[in-house]
Amino acid sequence: MTRHHPDSLMLMEYSAGNLSEPHALCIRLHLDKCAHCRSRVDALDSLGAVMMEQQSQVTVEASTFDSILARIDSEPAPETVTPRVHRSPLSKLLGDDLDGLPWKRQLKDVSVLDISDRFPGQQDRVVLQKLCAGGKAPAHTHRGEETTIVLQGAFADNKGVFNQWDFVVLGQEDEHKPVALEGDDCITLSVLSAPLKLTGTFGRLLNPFIR
Amino acid sequence: MTNNISAHAAVKERPVTTLDQKPSRAEGRKDPWSQLLEKVGKNQDRQAYHALFEHFAPQIKYYAMANGMSSHAEELVQEVFVSIWRRSCLYDWRKAAASTWIFTIARNQRIDMLRKMQRTSAEMQVETEDLWQIPGENEDEPVTSLHRLMSERRVRESLRHLPEEQITVIAKVYMEHKSHQMVADELEIPLGTVKSRVRLALNKLKVILQDQNV
Repeated sequence: MTRHHPDSLMLMEYSAGNLSEPHALCIRLHLDKCAHCRSRVDALDSLGAVMMEQQSQVTVEASTFDSILARIDSEPAPETVTPRVHRSPLSKLLGDDLDGLPWKRQLKDVSVLDISDRFPGQQDRVVLQKLCAGGKAPAHTHRGEETTIVLQGAFADNKGVFNQWDFVVLGQEDEHKPVALEGDDCITLSVLSAPLKLTGTFGRLLNPFIR
Repeated sequence: MTNNISAHAAVKERPVTTLDQKPSRAEGRKDPWSQLLEKVGKNQDRQAYHALFEHFAPQIKYYAMANGMSSHAEELVQEVFVSIWRRSCLYDWRKAAASTWIFTIARNQRIDMLRKMQRTSAEMQVETEDLWQIPGENEDEPVTSLHRLMSERRVRESLRHLPEEQITVIAKVYMEHKSHQMVADELEIPLGTVKSRVRLALNKLKVILQDQNV
């Protein structure tokens, strides 16, 4: 079970629809597996509904409802709309075989894959990182904010153990040296608001922005 | 506009439905809007649909206008209502109050419209609904969420007691789509102050069920 959750401020930005697409994806993947945060977001969505209700009166054009009726009359009846088969947004984006992706090995234990191009028009860098089971990543700090969700396996650092679907945001003050737990390779999805700052000797190689 | 929101936040009550049915015991805590939405979903009831339109369309229009989409406001109202019609069969009153459900549809349709203005559909590898979900959809858990229906009533009730400066910040986040940083810049106060106002508000609204790792 997940033990590291997004904070309320970030969930509020999500509920308000203000997060960038990659950040929203991280939240969404976490929500899919975390009933606790789903109910927090439900409560925040209620707050959104109440905020939307507290407003000055505006008038909607009289013809708008007729236009809507004309549109729904030209479409199939709603009972023919069946719920979609639920496929994880992650599978849609990356397929079902994370290990089979075209990873770029950067260090003995570390591979990366930059998937920023899947989010056209976004300024964030979106990076998958794979730390082989039991493997160690070099120590690094973060120049900006890094939002990470664990997709597979688990890693540990000075802040604790991060299991599958755990969520963590690291800032400039956080230097860490993640170690993957034994068993599965640890795969994370990270959204970086600015390039990583590397502190170790091998750090340069890990940095996906320095090629 | 913020002043309007703040002023109304303190006094405005949800209007009482004009329909004469009272919720029966079996319907539990279903509110009038949720009953109407259910009728649309089950029977394609156009009278119920129109009642929902009368109540929510002005809210959605204002929602669009509040964040600079004035020229697309009527279009957003249309998109949201067509979406409500299409999805109403998926609506489950036990999982969300109608107003919450409609808010999430309005939010998603707004995001979807902005995304489509900015890029071609070929570039949309991830659909908006894959990123922002509608409450109650894609969930296989048993229904344990009666508290969800309570939460909206609780939010409305608690909102009366919040200081205006906290409501202002929340309104800017939800209605003007400003990030906490942008709110700080606009109000010329430190980011930390914005965050603490939001936290104080959420605490009072009991929205934070449990905040970890903050």
